[in-house]
Amino acid sequence: MKTQSFFIKYISLLFVLGTCFSCIKDTDFEQYDTLIIYPIVEANLVNAQEPAASFVDSSGAELPSISDQVIFDVFNSDFSVDNLIKAELVFGITNSINKAFQIKMDFYDSADALQHTFSIDIDNSPTNTPLFTEHIEVFENMNLLALKSTHKLEITITMISNPTSVVLTPDSEGSILLVSKGVFYLKISS
Amino acid sequence: MKWLFFLGVFVSLHSQNKQLLYGFKEVPQQLLLNPGGQVDYRGYIGVPILSHIHFNAGITGFSAFDIFADDGRDFNQKLREVAYSMDSKDFVGFNQQLDIFSAGFSVNTSLEDKLFISFGMYQESDIFTYFPKDYAILANEGNYNNLNRRFDFGQLSVSAEVLSVFHIGVNKKINTKWTLGIRGKIYSSIAQLSSTKNQGSFITVPTANNNLNHIFDLDMKLQTSGISFLREPDVNDELEVLKKRLLFGGNLGVGIDLGFTHQPAPEWTIDASLQDIGFINYSKDVKNFILDKYLEYDGVQSVFPQVTSGQTAQDYWDEVSSDFEELVEIDSTTTSYIKWRPIKLNSSVSYNFGRKINKECNCLDKLDPTFQNRVGAHLFAMKRPNHLQWALSLFYFRKFYKNLQIKTTYTVDAFSFTNVGLGMSAALGPVQFYIMADNLLEYQNLAKSQSVSLQLGFNYIFKNNEN
Repeated sequence: MKTQSFFIKYISLLFVLGTCFSCIKDTDFEQYDTLIIYPIVEANLVNAQEPAASFVDSSGAELPSISDQVIFDVFNSDFSVDNLIKAELVFGITNSINKAFQIKMDFYDSADALQHTFSIDIDNSPTNTPLFTEHIEVFENMNLLALKSTHKLEITITMISNPTSVVLTPDSEGSILLVSKGVFYLKISS
Repeated sequence: MKWLFFLGVFVSLHSQNKQLLYGFKEVPQQLLLNPGGQVDYRGYIGVPILSHIHFNAGITGFSAFDIFADDGRDFNQKLREVAYSMDSKDFVGFNQQLDIFSAGFSVNTSLEDKLFISFGMYQESDIFTYFPKDYAILANEGNYNNLNRRFDFGQLSVSAEVLSVFHIGVNKKINTKWTLGIRGKIYSSIAQLSSTKNQGSFITVPTANNNLNHIFDLDMKLQTSGISFLREPDVNDELEVLKKRLLFGGNLGVGIDLGFTHQPAPEWTIDASLQDIGFINYSKDVKNFILDKYLEYDGVQSVFPQVTSGQTAQDYWDEVSSDFEELVEIDSTTTSYIKWRPIKLNSSVSYNFGRKINKECNCLDKLDPTFQNRVGAHLFAMKRPNHLQWALSLFYFRKFYKNLQIKTTYTVDAFSFTNVGLGMSAALGPVQFYIMADNLLEYQNLAKSQSVSLQLGFNYIFKNNEN
């Protein structure tokens, strides 16, 4: 009987100790504080396609420029302001009009003050074959701050006189296609 | 914080597999696993709150050590490695049970016939989630380097529930070969949420001219019941609600357990049980959230007003942004729903050997004529939302003296191939204490363990007269 109770006690002790003194070694559970992810999000922005005839008014005269503006509340949203660390706006322009163009992008803040601007020069296409031009505008540091305060975007397409002095008519061939997308580098921390 | 997390890992639990308790006939709580288990005592009373405490937590695909090892490596790098090495079949599970009270007694219906009635109430929590790998990849990488990749939103599958269960079981030894049992249960769900039937995807497709088409196809549903009390401003009110629901004030359901033990010969035992064949009807405090939307977005079309009158880029953008707002707008309903309980199967085959010999007469010891050893194999299976969870164990059971029994198991399951468990029941007089834990090889460093299971309890046993 003595050995029995000794045995029971011994085994019980082993169990209890084993359970209580099981441990977690060489770990640091505080590390989770620093959880950071860096997703890169790509999204379409503004697209436009205009035939040559769009640059001719109803009287048959050339329009020197056309423009459009859009109020974007994405760049200055809280999420962007907090998490956006870099952005690239990628413009692809395909021109098959025998006219050179300049595409200008103006970034205005909510007080309508110009924060950032850049322009892209597009060559004319003498034989109306599609010519592709790519422009990547990178927003980092100060530029990025300008982007984050952007409330309104204005696109202006201006015709440039070309060496051949071709004048557009409603029957002129070709079109200009603008595709733009943004690549947004995010840093999101817990 | 460290301890909280430790508790989280330790308490979080996987499989509900109780390979050590199953078939451990000296411990009355085995009747909760198989109502048709063998009973060789007159009755028992579980020490309230202390008669059965069970924790089980498990993860597949990684261990806490993989992420939290103090090895100087970048935490985010480790996290990424783990996330990328896992797939959407990996899961995290947690199960906890606590006996609030339990007791059993035998009823003689005639001289020979005996019924064993057992009853009680326990509280259970269960959390189960698959690893939504595509969500993790999308959150970590974004769509930039993942054009044409379909992110599967159906990978989100999570369920969690806290409930109390009142049960009463009848166990009948038909003859020397057969013992049958059935247990009826009333479930009272305190809180439940599940989102297990999701579908949908997000994909970014490059199209002509360097353009992109973003396609959102969402069909997601989250069902909840009983969680609104969390918004009660007063903690005392919350406790009142909890108390009420614990005692049948929650969403109610019914279920049964079935089981048998068959001994074709004294040396051989075959037993099996099905637990929780039942359902709960969630009708009180129900809130369901539904997201069923489809959206394609390929940019804002700019239409220069000098050229065409009509929609301007601004109009177009307004339309796009309202489409996006609508995309994430969640509908809610209060439609009641029914959920089946996760059904569980246990079955084992075992061989008994080694009777005690009385040295004085070199004959069988009349005081304890039972077999002292038992070896066998045990199968556990459980229905999870998207798969059948299983475990296979080999076990050895040994009686040391009349008051001490030990069982050891080796288990193979989704979590590991090195799971060794040890269980013990010891009695001092009528008071019985048992403790069972698996994954013992990992106890030197629990952080490396992918699952932990622990059960312990105290009972007061009324032994048979002949004992």
